[in-house]
Amino acid sequence: MSILGKERKTDWEVVYEGVNGLMDLYSEDPDSRGMNAILKGFRSFVDGLFGAIDEGRPIVWHNCGCTPELIKGLEGVQSMPIEVLTVLQDLVGDVQYTMALIDAAEAHGLASEVCSIDKAAVGSILGGLYPEPACMLYHNTPCDSQIAAIKTAAALTGKPMRMMDVPYLYGDREVEYLARQMAEGIPFLEEHTGRRFSWDRFRQVCEESNRTAEYLRDWNDLRRHKPCPQVSKIVALCTALLVAFSGDPEGTAIARAFRDEARERIERGESAVEGGEMYRAVWYQDPVWWDLQFYDWMEAELKLVIPMDLFGYYAPEALIDTSTPETMLQGLARKSLRTLPMSRQFKGPIDNFIDDYLKMCAEYQADFGIFAGHVACKHGLGGIGLFREASREAGVPLLYFEFDMFDPRVTSAETIQAHIANFIEDVVKPRREMS
Amino acid sequence: MGKSEILGIMHNAIQKPRNTYLDQWVAEGRKVVGYYCTYIPEEIFTAAGFLPYRLRGAGSDSSSEGDAYMSARVCTFVRHTISLALRGELDFLDGVVLAQNCDHIRRAADLFRKKVKPAFYGFLSIPRVPKERLFDWYLAELRRLKAEMEAHYSIAITEQNLEDAIELHNATRQRVNKLYELRKREAPPITGQEALTITVAAHVMPRAEFNSLMDDLLADLERAGGNGDYRARVIVTGGVMDEPEYLAAIEQQGALSVAEMVCFGQRSFGGPVESGPGDPLERIARQRFFQVPCARMVECFDEQFSELMKRMKEYKADGIIFQRMKFCDPWAGDAHNLYWRMKEAGIPFLSLDREYRVTAAGQVKTRVQAFLEQMGK
Ligand code: SF4
Ligand code: SF4
Repeated sequence: MSILGKERKTDWEVVYEGVNGLMDLYSEDPDSRGMNAILKGFRSFVDGLFGAIDEGRPIVWHNCGCTPELIKGLEGVQSMPIEVLTVLQDLVGDVQYTMALIDAAEAHGLASEVCSIDKAAVGSILGGLYPEPACMLYHNTPCDSQIAAIKTAAALTGKPMRMMDVPYLYGDREVEYLARQMAEGIPFLEEHTGRRFSWDRFRQVCEESNRTAEYLRDWNDLRRHKPCPQVSKIVALCTALLVAFSGDPEGTAIARAFRDEARERIERGESAVEGGEMYRAVWYQDPVWWDLQFYDWMEAELKLVIPMDLFGYYAPEALIDTSTPETMLQGLARKSLRTLPMSRQFKGPIDNFIDDYLKMCAEYQADFGIFAGHVACKHGLGGIGLFREASREAGVPLLYFEFDMFDPRVTSAETIQAHIANFIEDVVKPRREMS
Repeated sequence: MGKSEILGIMHNAIQKPRNTYLDQWVAEGRKVVGYYCTYIPEEIFTAAGFLPYRLRGAGSDSSSEGDAYMSARVCTFVRHTISLALRGELDFLDGVVLAQNCDHIRRAADLFRKKVKPAFYGFLSIPRVPKERLFDWYLAELRRLKAEMEAHYSIAITEQNLEDAIELHNATRQRVNKLYELRKREAPPITGQEALTITVAAHVMPRAEFNSLMDDLLADLERAGGNGDYRARVIVTGGVMDEPEYLAAIEQQGALSVAEMVCFGQRSFGGPVESGPGDPLERIARQRFFQVPCARMVECFDEQFSELMKRMKEYKADGIIFQRMKFCDPWAGDAHNLYWRMKEAGIPFLSLDREYRVTAAGQVKTRVQAFLEQMGK
C-alpha cells in the first residue's frame, strides 16, 4: 500500500494498511470515537512524517521521555519519536515486524536485557527504516534502557545529539534546571535544522498542549465513573498521544474524542463491559501493547474493566503558563518532570510511583491492582518489594507477573490471561464474598 | 614490608564487609559513610573526619534479602550489596550517600532509605552529561550535601578540612598512578588480580594507612623483577569490578591484565585534584565531574573511546576485555558501541557478561582462550 502516493518500506506500509483497515472497521461504530480519533491521528502522523521526507524538511528525533513541543517551536520541522514504528506496529500493524527488529538489534550486539522497544528502535535504524535526522533531542527518562538506545542511535547515525538531564526530584529548583537546559537546547536545534525558533509559534504550541491536557484531565475524571463508561484498551494510548502529538491540534482532537465519548456514554448509562462490570482493576507499569484485544477479553470473559492505568493517568499539575518565554519553558519542564506518564512515576525515588498507584486505586475504586512487570523496566521490578508492602498496607490485593510489553514471545497472552483469571478466582472473589 | 605481605593485608581487607582497619577506626569512635559511585567525591567524607567506604557485596553468600525486594532482573551486584545492608552486616555505617547512578542503584537507594534507615541518608542528583553546561548543578548538589552533613552531624567542614582531604586523596591517586606506570613495563611487576586487590582496598580502608602501605609496596615493586610470561596484554574495561578472582580466571589463561578501566580500578582515581587557589569544593567537583566518563554518561562516548585507545598504546595492550554485569543497561549500550568502534579500529575485543560473586571460571576460560587464539597469541 502506498503512502502519499509512493511506495515505502514494507514495515511502514504494513502499519499504514493496518491503520486504514482499523479505521474502516471502527468508523461506522458510534461507540468508537476515541479509537477512531487516535487511528486518524496515527495516520496523520505517518502522512506528516513522509510529507516531511518528500519535501526534504528537517526531521528531529526524540524519545518517549521528551514531548515534542520545543521541536515544534521551529517552523517546518518534523518531530519523530524513535519508538514510533514499534508502537504503531504493535498497536495497528503486525507484531511479527517488531519481533524481527528486536532480533536484528540483538544480532547486532545489543544485549537482550535492553527494552524491546529500544531494541526495536535500534533495529529500525539498522534497517534504514527511519529518515535521517537533522539532529536528536532526548531526555534521560524514563529509564536507563532508553539511554542505552539513545547512545546506540547516536553511534549508528553519527548525527548531533543533545540530552536534557532530567534530575532526580520534582521541585522548583529542578524545574528551573530543566527549563534552563531547554533554553540552551534552542540554539542547538536551530543550528542543526537550519530553521528559526519562534516564540510566537512556541506559545501556540504550548496553548495547544494545554488544551489537550485539559481534555485529558476531564477524561481522567469521567473514567472514575462506576460503571466505567469506556473500554479499557483506550487508556494505554494516552501516552502515545502525548509523545507523538503534544502541542499538535491532532492531539487535542484525540483527547477531546476520548472525553466526549466517555461523557456521552455516561449520559446514556452505558458500561464498558457488556452485561455490567463485576471487577475494576488499576493496571500498573506497562500495557500489553502487542494485543489490544487482550483488554476486550478481560471485559468479555471476566467482566473486568481497567478504568485507569499508569499510561493514561494524567496527573493534575499546573498547565503551561504562556505569558513569557521563561514561564513557557518552566511550564514545559514542569510537564516533563511532574506530569508526563512514565517520566513522572518511573524516574526519581519510588514514592511517586507507589503513591500514584494507591491514589489511582482509591480514586478509581479498584478491587485490585495488576502490576504487569515489563521485563526491561528494572526501575519497576527493582521496586516490587516496596510496592507489594505498600499495597498490603493499603489493603489492595496485587497481582504481579512479568512479561514483555512489545514482544509476545516472552509471556504469552494465554499465560497472562490465566494469571488474571486465577487471581480473581482465588483472591478477589473470596475477598468480595467475605466483605 | 614486602609485596607479598602487603598484598596479603589488602587481600584480607577486601574479603568481607568489615576489615581490621575499619574495625580499628570504628573502635576509636570515628564515623564511616557508605557510597556507591565515583561521582560522589570521597574528599567530602574525609574532610568531615569520616571514613569513605565504597559499598560492595564482598562476603555476601546470598542475595536472598535483596531478592525479597527486587526482581531477579536487577543486577546481582546491587542485590548482594542491599542484602548485606538488610542483614545488618553494614551496620557500622553512620550514613550513606547515594545517587541515581543507574536504575538498579536508584531502587537500592529506596531500600536504604525505607528499610535500612541509616542514621544519615544523603542523595545526589548527578547529571548524566559531563559537560560544562551542567557543572553548576553538580557543584550545587555537592554544596547541598556538605550543608546537610554539617547540619546532621553538627560539624563544620572547613576549607582547610577540604584542602587536607584533597592532599590525602591526591597522595592516593599519585600512588595508584605510579603503580599503573609500573604496569607499562614489558614485564609488569604485578598482575591484574593483584592490582585490583590494591585499588579495591583503597576504597574500604583509611587512606593514610593505605598510602603508607603503598609506599612500601611501590618501593618493593620498583626493585622487583616482573612477569613476562604471558600470552597477551589486555585492558579490562566495563562496569563494576571488585572481584580480583575474576581477573585471576582471565589471567590464568595467559591474558595479563595491564590496566583495569573499571569501577574500583583506574577509572575511580584519575589525575590529581588541582591545587589552589580557589574554592576547594569546586576543584574537587571538577576532578570528579570531568573524570573519564563511565557508561551512565551521555554525549561523551568519543571521549570514553579515545581514553581507551590512549591506554591501549601506553600499556602496549593487545586487546580489550569488556565485562558487564548481566541486566546492566548503562553498559549494554556501551557494549554495543565499543564492539563496533573496536572492530572499526581493528582492536581485538572480547565482551563477557557476568554475575556478581560467580567467577564462572569454566566459561571465562573458554572465552578467553578463544580470544587469545583469535589474536594469534
Ligand atoms: S518500557 Fe520500561 S524499560 Fe522500556 S523504555 Fe519504557 S521505561 Fe524503559
Ligand atoms: S553494574 Fe550496571 S546495573 Fe549494576 S550497579 Fe553498576 S551500572 Fe548499575
